[in-house]
Amino acid sequence: MRSLRRGRPVVAARRRMSAAFDAAVTTVAILAGLALSAFILVVAGVPAEELANEFIVNTLTDADNLRAVLAQAAPLAFVGVGAALAFRVRFWNLGLEGQMIAGSVAATAIALADVGPPVWRLFLMLVAAMAAGMAWALVPALLKLRLGVNEVISSLLLNYVALNFLLHLLYGSWKDPVDAFPHSPAFDPFERLPDLGWGLNAALPLVAAAAVFAAWLLGRSRAGFYMRFVHANPSVALAKGLPVAALVLTAVLLSGGYAALAGVCLSVGQEGRLTQAFFAGYGFSGILIAFLARNNALAAVVVAFLVAVLFVSGQSLQVFYQIPFAMVRLIEAIVIISAAASEFFLRYQVRWLR
Amino acid sequence: MRTKTLSAVLAGCAFLAAGQASVADGGFVLGAAPKPAFLYFSSKKDGGWTQAFDEARPKIEAAIGVKIPFVENVAEDALQIRPAAEKFIQRGYNVIIGTAFGYSDTFKQLAEKYPKVAFLDGSGTVNAVNLQSFYGRTYESQYLCGMAAAAASKTGKLGFVAANPFGPVIWTVNAFEMGALKIRPDATTTVIYTGAWNDPVKERAAATALADQGIDAIGQHVDTPTPQIVAQERGIYGTGHHRDFREFAPKATVCSSVWTWDKYLAPALKTIKAGEWKTEPYGAFAGIKGGATDIACCGPAVSKPNVDKIMAERKAIIDGKHVYAGPLSDREGKERVAAGAVLADGDLWKMDWYVTGVITQK
Repeated sequence: MRSLRRGRPVVAARRRMSAAFDAAVTTVAILAGLALSAFILVVAGVPAEELANEFIVNTLTDADNLRAVLAQAAPLAFVGVGAALAFRVRFWNLGLEGQMIAGSVAATAIALADVGPPVWRLFLMLVAAMAAGMAWALVPALLKLRLGVNEVISSLLLNYVALNFLLHLLYGSWKDPVDAFPHSPAFDPFERLPDLGWGLNAALPLVAAAAVFAAWLLGRSRAGFYMRFVHANPSVALAKGLPVAALVLTAVLLSGGYAALAGVCLSVGQEGRLTQAFFAGYGFSGILIAFLARNNALAAVVVAFLVAVLFVSGQSLQVFYQIPFAMVRLIEAIVIISAAASEFFLRYQVRWLR
Repeated sequence: MRTKTLSAVLAGCAFLAAGQASVADGGFVLGAAPKPAFLYFSSKKDGGWTQAFDEARPKIEAAIGVKIPFVENVAEDALQIRPAAEKFIQRGYNVIIGTAFGYSDTFKQLAEKYPKVAFLDGSGTVNAVNLQSFYGRTYESQYLCGMAAAAASKTGKLGFVAANPFGPVIWTVNAFEMGALKIRPDATTTVIYTGAWNDPVKERAAATALADQGIDAIGQHVDTPTPQIVAQERGIYGTGHHRDFREFAPKATVCSSVWTWDKYLAPALKTIKAGEWKTEPYGAFAGIKGGATDIACCGPAVSKPNVDKIMAERKAIIDGKHVYAGPLSDREGKERVAAGAVLADGDLWKMDWYVTGVITQK
């Protein structure tokens, strides 16, 4: 009993937080999650000495794997930065997949209707996609700003509206006449994201530019500074005379536009036509990436790259060790929960009180 | 969201024509002994489509004497399909077997990139000298299940829960009704489309709505056994799809249209091994005879004389009877198949009409 009285842990709110400390804690947390995952994999029968090889060396040094990671990272980064933009103004945009669908439907409409000369076609498709993604995000934004409708519900349910509209088109007027199957006719070569060589397409420079713009907007511009104010306390921001509605609208519309471009990376960049399932799962990944990146645009790009590594190497584990898919999911979940739990150490400090 | 489906059909498409030319040039020879690997569309225990492949896998392994690895949950997303296939290829696997319609475009690109690797795609739509899409003539098995459903029904009012209205689903609906008419000339089939391949909630709502209308036998072309489970709860009957759904509803399920992929894939792999593989330019499209599809039939609710009738029809189909033989008109009275003719494969894939007796939402 005596020894217990010698001291006890005390939790206190952290007064100051630095970006370096933030990054260090998150990194340690992710490494802890990976270590735990590695332990589970070794127990499941993956040889320990092969693990590092499979996860890091093979994924990053093998040309095919690196290409797969980069191609996968582009749409993930778009949707992750898109989510971060909305979350910066405390708008929980769960409608990312609906915005992806709206964007790709608009791009496909431009392609199928042969709008504009071929040299301008792809540009028009991208503009139409962004406009449609923004329009789809505008609905829950206006509902929230004007009527106080909770955007978690409205943006999420609009996903189903978009999905059913997509299916209506694919099983109806946009069904491919070549094989009567539910996907749109294939795009012409000039309607696809151009190849830059080495098996990579223009999605990468596009997402890099978009991420730099978002980082500037959120981190350097006056609007970004105001958005942080809105994030911290919307009512005080309003009382101080900030244009809260305009700031929220700007961030949410950009979020919808970025989500639409994530969809374009997949439909226009990868599939070469509008398909039924190109968006599946990306909305959830986007939320996750924004969360792990703590709504920082450049960090979201890094996290998107890491998530892509996790996806691709997770597939390797299945291919070469016949590790079940459920186990791959478990590992992804462990890494994410570790990062989420580290939030505690960012906000609080634990001291040993004697 | 699944899209499975099929093989290709269509004449007039430039790359198909090109594929045909190179097939004629002499076929495809695998440089080494076949090492196959599967890419599964969903979980290997999905209860339906993918599980049917996974249950065929050990039988194929036994037939050709090679272990066959697999990857689960490879969505219809080029960014998932390509790396999974390329990882197998890098490690020396030379026969890649896909299981979804949405793999088609990516498999086509891979087949061009890896001309020494053989590709097969269950329910794919494209073909090339080293790429074969395959699917089953499910209208044969669903025709027989329609007979069983009508035989079990007391009212002659049948129902059908289906995913999405397009060729390969519509042909099962029509065949189901045509089989039912064979047993009961007054049989009708009321169809509800759920708009999803795998949505137990909508399937339950659809099956319940059908049962509420007094329908007492429910066929299906969706991926979960939910319609059969509802039938069992309501004390009525039904017929399954993909696998033998007596596993889930032993009292209700009187017949199931089942996949028998080992009977198609094991011989195909042996042909590849023997160096005699020639892909079919419009897809391999096998029925009960070719070993893609069959029935698990019949439950005790089907009387012995009716079981005999069903088995006699099964034999007739194996011996060459075509379900869609003329004269055949749609429910609007337009002739679809002339007397003495059978429906061409290309028209099957594009089927967008219903026979008399099918009641749809529209």
